[in-house]
Amino acid sequence: MRNILIGALLLLVSLWYLSFLAARLDRLHHRVETSWANLDSLLQRRAAIALEIARSDFADPASALILTSAAYQAREAGVQERSSAESALSGALSLLLVDDQSDVSTAAHLLLEELKLLTAKIRIAIAIHTDAVSSTQMVRRKVGIRIFRLAGTAPLPLTYEFEFDAL
Amino acid sequence: MISRRLKIGLVCPYSWDTPGGVQSHVRDLAEYLINAGHDVSVLAPAIEESALPRYVVNAGKPIAIPYNGAVARILFGPIAFARVRSWISTGNFDILHLHEPAIPSISLLAIWAAEGPMVGTFHAAAKHQKVIYAIGPILEPAIEKLSARIAVSEAARLTLTNHLQTDAVVIPNGIYTKRYSLGMPVQKWSGNTLGFIGRFEEPRKGLSILSDALPIISRFAPDVRVLVAGPGDPGNFMELVDPELRDRFEFLGQISESEKADLMSSISLYIAPNTGGESFGIILAEALAGGACVVASDIPAFDSLLEGGEFGALFKSQDSTDLAKVVIALLRDRDEREDLARKGKEHAQIFDWDMVAEQILSIYEMAMIGGTKITLASENRAWSRFTQREGER
Repeated sequence: MRNILIGALLLLVSLWYLSFLAARLDRLHHRVETSWANLDSLLQRRAAIALEIARSDFADPASALILTSAAYQAREAGVQERSSAESALSGALSLLLVDDQSDVSTAAHLLLEELKLLTAKIRIAIAIHTDAVSSTQMVRRKVGIRIFRLAGTAPLPLTYEFEFDAL
Repeated sequence: MISRRLKIGLVCPYSWDTPGGVQSHVRDLAEYLINAGHDVSVLAPAIEESALPRYVVNAGKPIAIPYNGAVARILFGPIAFARVRSWISTGNFDILHLHEPAIPSISLLAIWAAEGPMVGTFHAAAKHQKVIYAIGPILEPAIEKLSARIAVSEAARLTLTNHLQTDAVVIPNGIYTKRYSLGMPVQKWSGNTLGFIGRFEEPRKGLSILSDALPIISRFAPDVRVLVAGPGDPGNFMELVDPELRDRFEFLGQISESEKADLMSSISLYIAPNTGGESFGIILAEALAGGACVVASDIPAFDSLLEGGEFGALFKSQDSTDLAKVVIALLRDRDEREDLARKGKEHAQIFDWDMVAEQILSIYEMAMIGGTKITLASENRAWSRFTQREGER
């Protein structure tokens, strides 16, 4: 009788622990998705600004060409090649960001200001997203989660590599 | 840009009525956010309920425990947990911002109790943290609930990555730079003067390192004087100082913010000889904003605030000979001193609340993307939903 009671108690505790783990993982998966959606929308906005800069009188024809192609590639890149495409766009943008902005027209100046604000946000968004991804990866390595397949069919989130110094 | 009015809940783990870096950070942030049109409620322990500002909710009387080389007045336990829960359930918050959530305090209780967009700011960076972070596996699920983590300095971020395997965005502590840039030079504080502000009786503030360096400094600069501001009894400290050098110390006692600004613009050098236990070094940011040329020990927090010596000179921590060397070199070179002070004053703008609070708000914005509000975690559990449904029938 006593053994049955102890067994039942252990079962209850482990069931509670599994539900706790599942809730934890669910929250993390949710965060990976929302933080990615946020990062994605910021990056899309950046590509749009890059195109606008390329069309403005601020960019010379050669850099306009590079910028346009980089922006289109970043927009159309799949999940796998997204990181490198965005880094390429960062590189193309950094070519244009010269220290001396005295002879910049006001329209272009506004674009550059907007780009600067956006870049700061993108940095934070990347940090939040990579953090969510690495926490998720860590929790998914836990034995309980792997044995009981608590992750279900959700794909393991990819780490987003982004070259910070190019920003 | 956040255009709508937010309902923000801030949790301060330390007693509201004892002075401290975290407390003044939370107070300044709360007041900035209120002025920006947001609805802010701060939950903090307090000894004296009647002296609290309108936006602070008392969580109960704090308990004094030794922590990080000082006595921390914090609060936890079942009664505190009940208060935290009722604050969360009645607050209808859009976001919770918890300060120092890795120590057993009401910040940690709030993470346990709440579900939804939460941001945590980590202030401390010290080796004593290890004791606290040894319980990392218990903290992990709680810290994980934070949508975004903020560290106030690179040193605080490293403590976090080393002990809790999680990363954070670095956003410095804020100051109102304007308050310090309006200082006017005062005749009696000018000349070859070295400034020091802080609770000088605490050994980790390092005033004794400066007094040990004084014999060498006075050989090269015979008219050197040390101006010490801050609470404490000068008598005890002076007994330890060489009698011949005692007349070089001048104790100003507690000074106001505007006097601080005047002091910073009068002195030749501001000296920060702290030996550790400092996570950010707000006083250095204030000294830079006030236009002082700064000489600081090379502890991690100061090193990162001065960017490795670019915006102020560094000396080897706890080494009074090295301090003397750096001070003498700078007292002799007026151009270098003015150059450092000018660069430092420009750099101090990144600590201005206008910049700092905007960054914090953009973190809020990103944490809130899911669009959910703060609720009690227990309300979302399966059995609670079940019992609620039963009740509705």
